[in-house]
Amino acid sequence: MSAVRTLLLSAAIGVALVAPGAAHYKFRIVGTVTKITVDEIAVKQLKDNAIVEMDIDKQTKVVKDGKPAGRGQIKIGGSVVIDALGDDILSLTATEIRLVPPIRQP
Amino acid sequence: MNGASQVQIPVPSGSQLALTTAVALVIAASILVAIVLPAEYGVDPLGTGEKLGLTAMSRVSAAPAQMPAADAALKPTVNGPIGQYGVPFKTDAMTFTLGPYDYIEYKYALEEGAQMQFAWKASVPVIHDFHGERSDGQASSFDKSNRQESNGTFTAPFSGIHGWYWENPGGETITVTLKSSGFYASSVEFRSDKTTVPHTLAVP
Repeated sequence: MSAVRTLLLSAAIGVALVAPGAAHYKFRIVGTVTKITVDEIAVKQLKDNAIVEMDIDKQTKVVKDGKPAGRGQIKIGGSVVIDALGDDILSLTATEIRLVPPIRQP
Repeated sequence: MNGASQVQIPVPSGSQLALTTAVALVIAASILVAIVLPAEYGVDPLGTGEKLGLTAMSRVSAAPAQMPAADAALKPTVNGPIGQYGVPFKTDAMTFTLGPYDYIEYKYALEEGAQMQFAWKASVPVIHDFHGERSDGQASSFDKSNRQESNGTFTAPFSGIHGWYWENPGGETITVTLKSSGFYASSVEFRSDKTTVPHTLAVP
């Protein structure tokens, strides 16, 4: 009985440990960088000029021309395509930041 | 006379706590590697994501799929080379404008065995995934390649929503034009801003 209880408790804890990472939608943000810090990036969206702020973490990849790039290459005013996870636009964490050539307003 | 009684609350030993912690970490790691990584990031070291249809979820998706109600009249009765339906086929024509690096999904509700024919063309080669999704969210990809156009026929291998993911790979605004006809119930557009737009389809 004790072993069963231990297993059930362990399973519950195990699910609780990974569940927060699974309850997210994916967002794409396209625009120009307005702010970049160690743990945050802000982007002015091309489609509506709204500023979207996102967290950056250790898992966030930076890519340029299909190859890994350094975070130092992210510049204010640079064009980016960001894929981010979150429950809504106000709580996003960037998973990939793609550095792209300057985008003209459509 | 004292009626108060002491309740003994069992306290787990240090070894029990260590065991529980270790088992929890093993379970968490297993779920992470087998389910979360394939579904969230497309990382599938054990192959479980592909088997469970989870890797399709890692693709950037406009919105959770909304499954229309089943329509028995749109399920074909096969009689040799003939598939017969209870209602006429419908037609559809759409042009989508995609801003820089934007994407869209457009899908038809088809019953298992129902057919459609299609022709789409983009103004530049696009990132493309022709796929289907069951009511439980499990997705299957039928054709995933960069294309500028595609013409074909399609027989739904399962009941669900079936259609295309098109992504603009560059910084210029582009268009994708689609024409189709088939025994579908309805269509729905999943935009990158997470809005969904249902479309009324015409019987010719």
